[in-house]
Amino acid sequence: MDLIKENILILTILLPLIGATLIFITPGYLDNLVKYIALIISFVTFIISILIFILYDINSGGVQLLWDWEWLSLKGAWPLGDKGITLNLGVDGISVMMVLLTGIVMFTGVMASWNIQNRSKDFFILYFLLLAGVFGVFVSYDMFFFFLFYELSVMPMFLLIGYWGSSSDFRTFSRTKEYAAMKLTLFLVAGSVLIWIAIIAIFVQAGLGSFNILEIQKVVDDKFPLNFQQINFFMIMIGFGILAGMWPFHTWSPDGHVSAPTSVSMVHAGVLMKLGAFGIIRIGMTLLPEGANSLMPLLMILGCINVIYGAFSALGQTDLKYVVGYSSVSHMGYVLMGLASMELLGFTGAVYQMFSHGIMTALFFLAVGAIYHSMHTRDTLILKGIFKKMPYISVFFVIAGLTSLGLPGLSGFAAEILIFLGVFKSYGSLGILFGSLAVIGAGITAIYILRLVSKVFFGVPDENKQNTNNNLDATRFENTAGIILVGLILFAGLYPLPFIDMITSGVTPILSNVLGGL
Amino acid sequence: MIDLIHIQILSAIMFCIGVYGVMTRRSAILILMCIELMLNAVNINFIGFAAFRDFSESQRIFGHVIVVFIITIAAVELALAIAIILRLYKNKSSVNIDEVDLMKW
Amino acid sequence: MGINLTYIPPIICGVSFVLTALFARKVPLASSLISVFTILCSFILFIFILTDFLSSDLNSIKFSIDWIVVSDMRITWGILLDSLSVTMLGLITLVALLVQIYSISYMKGDSRFGWYFSVHSLFAAAMITVVLVDNLILLYFAWELVGLGSYLLIGFWYEKRAASEAAKKAFITTRIGDVALLIGIILIFKSTGTFDISSIFHIARNGGISENILTISTFLIFLGAMGKSAQFPFHVWLPDAMEGPTPVSALIHAATMVAAGVYLVARMMPLFSLAPYVLDFVVFIGLFTFIFAGTMAIVMHDIKRVLAYSTISHLGLMMMSLGFMGVASAIFHLIVHGISKALLFLGAGSLMHEMDGETDIRKMGGLINKMPITAITFIIGSVSLAGIIPLSGFFSKDEILLTVFEKGGILILLPALAGAFLSSLYMFRLTFITFFGSLKNDNSKVGESPILMTLPLILLALLAIFMSILLLEISTFKGFIYFISGHKAHLNLLLIVFSSILSFVALILAWFIYIKDSKYLIDWYKSKMKWNYNLILNKYYIDELYQYIINQIIIRFAQFVALFDRLVVNDIGVDRSSLSIRFLGLRLKLIQTGKMHGYAISMLFGFLILILTWAIL
Repeated sequence: MDLIKENILILTILLPLIGATLIFITPGYLDNLVKYIALIISFVTFIISILIFILYDINSGGVQLLWDWEWLSLKGAWPLGDKGITLNLGVDGISVMMVLLTGIVMFTGVMASWNIQNRSKDFFILYFLLLAGVFGVFVSYDMFFFFLFYELSVMPMFLLIGYWGSSSDFRTFSRTKEYAAMKLTLFLVAGSVLIWIAIIAIFVQAGLGSFNILEIQKVVDDKFPLNFQQINFFMIMIGFGILAGMWPFHTWSPDGHVSAPTSVSMVHAGVLMKLGAFGIIRIGMTLLPEGANSLMPLLMILGCINVIYGAFSALGQTDLKYVVGYSSVSHMGYVLMGLASMELLGFTGAVYQMFSHGIMTALFFLAVGAIYHSMHTRDTLILKGIFKKMPYISVFFVIAGLTSLGLPGLSGFAAEILIFLGVFKSYGSLGILFGSLAVIGAGITAIYILRLVSKVFFGVPDENKQNTNNNLDATRFENTAGIILVGLILFAGLYPLPFIDMITSGVTPILSNVLGGL
Repeated sequence: MIDLIHIQILSAIMFCIGVYGVMTRRSAILILMCIELMLNAVNINFIGFAAFRDFSESQRIFGHVIVVFIITIAAVELALAIAIILRLYKNKSSVNIDEVDLMKW
Repeated sequence: MGINLTYIPPIICGVSFVLTALFARKVPLASSLISVFTILCSFILFIFILTDFLSSDLNSIKFSIDWIVVSDMRITWGILLDSLSVTMLGLITLVALLVQIYSISYMKGDSRFGWYFSVHSLFAAAMITVVLVDNLILLYFAWELVGLGSYLLIGFWYEKRAASEAAKKAFITTRIGDVALLIGIILIFKSTGTFDISSIFHIARNGGISENILTISTFLIFLGAMGKSAQFPFHVWLPDAMEGPTPVSALIHAATMVAAGVYLVARMMPLFSLAPYVLDFVVFIGLFTFIFAGTMAIVMHDIKRVLAYSTISHLGLMMMSLGFMGVASAIFHLIVHGISKALLFLGAGSLMHEMDGETDIRKMGGLINKMPITAITFIIGSVSLAGIIPLSGFFSKDEILLTVFEKGGILILLPALAGAFLSSLYMFRLTFITFFGSLKNDNSKVGESPILMTLPLILLALLAIFMSILLLEISTFKGFIYFISGHKAHLNLLLIVFSSILSFVALILAWFIYIKDSKYLIDWYKSKMKWNYNLILNKYYIDELYQYIINQIIIRFAQFVALFDRLVVNDIGVDRSSLSIRFLGLRLKLIQTGKMHGYAISMLFGFLILILTWAIL
């Protein structure tokens, strides 16, 4: 047991890599074997992520389960000290939640991609590489590896969307999967350029010769003057903000979601967009507290635009997946607003929203993917009466929809109410304005979700316009995945206390750090 | 008494000859030789500094290491370049680089 | 013993929801029985709680369980038990019990029989929670779940387009109110730092909330109440909500959920009483809705819509009473109206059950001989609501009119009396057209409904007759008004006589028009005042106005944003900027001539320039 406990964090990275290797040596024509290997490995990873949640001791807080391995030693002539580059792993309350989320989405994502027939072997190799990267980002406490894993999680995306994605032809314009994949990759690489500059700047300015976040954190007050922090936080904010779908750099995300295959959309919207917000917390707010403090109003405005703009854009869409894609943009706006509120309530709510939105949007894309699979269209003007045809999938979609409009009892409400409270409490009377806009955004969400539900799911199916010979309800894998996600949404909405405690333990030191810069 | 300055002058002369050769020659083989000349000029410079300047032991070794590095790379590069030139001669029956502009745009 | 079990009813109803929702498809009948059983238990518990509550001196009892805790902010599940919530608990459990028993027979043979009952359980759990919780966030929590229950039940027959549209409309309209409600709640939190209702009152009474915040937040809370209670201008969803099964209309859209708005204002009355402007607004909205909805009830031909507009109108009456701080009279009318209206809706359901879902009253008539029990109970309900002495509806309405007269004076009383006259008129119109007159040929085979449906009707009718007993003093119980407000009820004889005369005039007028068939008055109205008639028949075109606003303004704006996002942000902002790089590349590539000497020379010069700059700097 101790052995597992000591090495549990590296397991989260190694397991997907082992999975990728195992699938790599499996012959491609054994399609089912590949899928079952993927299922087992992802299930084990899921269990590991739950174990991490259990093993983390909330009462003592801080960074726990530390693990490190010296990767590159630079003793001798290296001008900036002799610490070298070390793979430092560790988790705090925030990353525990994110690891749990990734475990869930990874496991359900494998089940959602069961119907992939075309080169499923390569698909799962890339899928596992992607998730190794995501886990790596969430558990590393070393900026170099943080960035390395970040890039590792971005790159497979290009192939996954570009090869297994789907092109959509709308009446007035079209979006090919190549276009979406290219745009996504270029945007994210552009963001990572800014991030890399900021990381190098922090590394050099700290002068410790180490990328270790925990060590750099100790010298923040002495070494980082205010304008250095502001410039670098700005770069971090934009760079990670791109990944979090921050306005006006959000356009890659709806197009990417639409073109990606189901499970990739799930990972993409469910986890990858959270990497952005996580990066802002882990590098931006931890290492550049004063810069964060002075630039938060800007983030608040951008987040507020995200919420309202994303909601209206979603209302104007006619493609099921675009609606969900823009709703992700809108919901990530809540995360940004919560971060920017610089209130314990809002910050906790933001992290909880990351978790809640991850599950919710995975459920959304699971349902939309299944609908597209059997109806061969996602046009809301054509689809009708799906409830009759696909009861399970419709229930999943409706529950996800109700979560996104913040219905109490589901996870979205618990997260959003905390964000609203935080935003209202911050910035004096301006906070009331931002908070009201956020609440109104939730109201607009209700409009587009309910319009969609009544148009697409209710009513009687139109036999002429949509393909009805091949209407299948969810497969048993999709059902299992959906039920897991629905159960989590309900649990997180009705009894959020354990999650909230976990988040609070991670958020409190970071926030006091940011506020201490005043 | 030979001093650092003499070695540097030698290295500079060698380097200039190399540059001149690269600029004026048409034959790929000759250009290659001139490049080697330039590399060796740099080597001499390194060795000179390592030998004459007041450096610590580890820094002195650093100079030597780099020279060995450059020699190795030059050898590898030469092997590659000769191979390319041979292919070029096979295809075009000439090693005049003015006739070779396949890599434009 | 009873009081300590107050948390049981919502929990067992919630458990019943989960169980029945999971197994509804397999064993529909069992799930209905589970649901009825749990609500029966809740009702029995209510009786225990009530006797306990009456015998103890405590005004409110609290206990709490954590829901969210973030450092010093705690949101807890807690129960606030006072006379108001006990009263509401009784109303909800009683009506829900009767309606569910009724539904077993009414919904028999429906393909989603089990699901119907599980939503009923969800609704019961949420509604009981609304009246019991001790803090505003959880009140909002349950408030929204009540809305969800209403949404699911209105859209119960989702294959019907009208039903799914009505469900959507109901949810979105109330949601607009809820947005305001949530903002109001958070504003109060911002200035007091707590959600606990009694602490908020305490702080507000000590002047802890600035006057502006108090006014704004109570106004916003009232907007939320308006949405749920279907007050003008949020009234549009309630008539459409009649697309749901009729027992649902009886329970949710007449007796309980729509009363939640009234309950909320009554509950927050200590806060409202500190905001005089908002109280004036409440009076205005209440009075306006009372008359406005009454006019529409008088011209509708759909039995359920008449009842729906009557509900809106009576909710307006209650709001008006609340605007004059007459909490006790408003709550008493709420109960009496809830019982009577549930009776009327169940009666209407009984009619529809026997007439294959027919709701147009022009196709009914003379049914009193065919369905005696339904007819008599329906008449009792409508007479009670019309305010004929000595039924309970008369006393409750009179209490409100008295409050209005005392606090608002004659100027407000006159329009209120006009509204009361209207409400008598449309109730009698409905009764006369439906049950009297000549029997239509199509209806000759109609018979009485089964016992499971008539039994609740009889019980409710008895309650509608004898509810006014609550006003009397019986041993330690000093009358309902005293129970709620701590003041004794009193009567104004002149007002009683005057309003009785008014009701009788309405009765006689309706008699002449609809029984004696003297069409003169109606024909005169329809011909001379055609524009007015059409205006009212089309519900003042308010639905069209909202539809126009949503379609032409909101959706258009959303489409504009979507187009803006695609054409400006994406195509110009993103694609063009990437094209500009491509364009630059096309120009710059010409530098690559492929001539080696050119490269060598430019390299050399570049190097020299670098050295020179370095030397100069």
